[in-house]
Amino acid sequence: MSTPPIDEAELNAMLRRAGLVLTPQQVKAILPGAEIFQRMIARVNAPLPREAEPAPTFKAEQG
Amino acid sequence: MSVLTIAEAARRIAAKQLSPVELAKTQLGRIHRLDPQLNAFLLVTEERALTDAKAAEARQMAGALRGRLDGIPIAHKDIYNTAGIRTTAHSKQLEHNVPTRDAHTVSKWADAGTVMLGKLATHEFAFGGPSFDLPWPPARNPWNRDHFTAGSSSGTGAAVAAGLILGGTGSDTGGSIRGPAALCGIAGIKPTYGLSSRTGILPLAFSLDHAGPMAWTAEDCGLLLQGMAGPDPEDPASVDRPIPDFTAELGRGVKGLRIGVIRHFFEQDHRASDATRAGIDAAMDFYAKEGAEVRDITLSPAADYHAVGYLIMIAEAFALHGPWMREHFMDYGELFRDRVSLAATVSGPDMIQATRRRRLLCREMAAAMENLDIVVSASQPGEAPRIDSVEKWTNMEKPSFTMPFNVTGFPAISICTGFGEGGLPVAMQLAGKPFTEPTLLRAAHAYETAMPWRAKRPAMAG
Repeated sequence: MSTPPIDEAELNAMLRRAGLVLTPQQVKAILPGAEIFQRMIARVNAPLPREAEPAPTFKAEQG
Repeated sequence: MSVLTIAEAARRIAAKQLSPVELAKTQLGRIHRLDPQLNAFLLVTEERALTDAKAAEARQMAGALRGRLDGIPIAHKDIYNTAGIRTTAHSKQLEHNVPTRDAHTVSKWADAGTVMLGKLATHEFAFGGPSFDLPWPPARNPWNRDHFTAGSSSGTGAAVAAGLILGGTGSDTGGSIRGPAALCGIAGIKPTYGLSSRTGILPLAFSLDHAGPMAWTAEDCGLLLQGMAGPDPEDPASVDRPIPDFTAELGRGVKGLRIGVIRHFFEQDHRASDATRAGIDAAMDFYAKEGAEVRDITLSPAADYHAVGYLIMIAEAFALHGPWMREHFMDYGELFRDRVSLAATVSGPDMIQATRRRRLLCREMAAAMENLDIVVSASQPGEAPRIDSVEKWTNMEKPSFTMPFNVTGFPAISICTGFGEGGLPVAMQLAGKPFTEPTLLRAAHAYETAMPWRAKRPAMAG
């Protein structure tokens, strides 16, 4: 399972896109967690069989 | 008076051998004496407790008790809204928050006659802890105050273990009931998703949050769950189905039960301590000797369940907290704000892939349990670590044993299986098919009543 690399600049850009404008120190404090989290995201994105499709369904009668 | 279980206190109250007012005063005395060393309580509601206890005693004298929870001293995790009583989520964000309405489950326990002693410590918004930069300190483990309680229902775990309360509420998004139950040596059950309402409980992640009880024994958890479970039209996840008698199967033993051990979770995927593994092995020997059929089973790696659950949890938490985080980032503690900020790295397709994979994992678990009644794993990797050794990313580095049952929504209970080398409790986790809590409690109760562990309280509890 490949792990996409993430660096401080990329993390900062992602945080800003999410509306979190942080200091360099604050971004640096999050980076070690982001590196672990990227491995989790890669695991979630491992290829899936087609029958995995029906999860995000919507039922109107649920209100 | 030694600390009573709920079952024993209820029996004595019903027999008019125990005054609910005297019981409440005893518990308040223990809180005043012991809690300064534990920080389990954020707020003690002494006046409310005595009012509740006097009302329970009046019903006792009139022969009009409302059931086995009438007169029982409890407290609520401080993410459960309590009308007119401060509810903070252990956060500066809500330091002065006073709800106008009780959480659905708070009302249900009050209607059952419980005596509310106060509000309990939690990790910030049920996620950020143990934190030392919040308005209140973190709860400490009564078995050794230098050690962690686990979280997020940290105050409930500490207060039950120390005998400050007979039971309390917890919430569980990735293990927040079962973790503190394990490290504090008590019992805690995460019911099936939808069995108990979350209305009025400050959410962490909508599709993973569960509300459940924590107490000294599995039987007490069953009694408390009886007072919590039931449909609530205000909670979209709430299930409208008949509520069974959760203690009906207690005492029937385990003969004929089919038990699957997910051994690779705690031997390969995340190797648990020797004492934890030995405790599970001994428990399985006990179950086999008592007539259960025990065999090992294999599921996807624990890391698959952990990744799916963690990604969904972080994304859902940011959906809720994002607006506050953008405006008041520093009003959260470091652990909460830094952990939830990771949601910024989740893309839309990542989230969809997680929900697709979640569906597959639910199907896998259901298929594995088709010919089983219970599956078994560890609750925690070992004894409680020192509280100052728990780091910001510790809960991400190795897969959780509890998250698989948040991902699937299946019920799971943690019970004590003895003590490790450091003298602190170790535990195992039993999980069942959806809505089979009576069977889960039956198996837990059979083990607990055959073992000596429930006779030993932390030394400080007296």
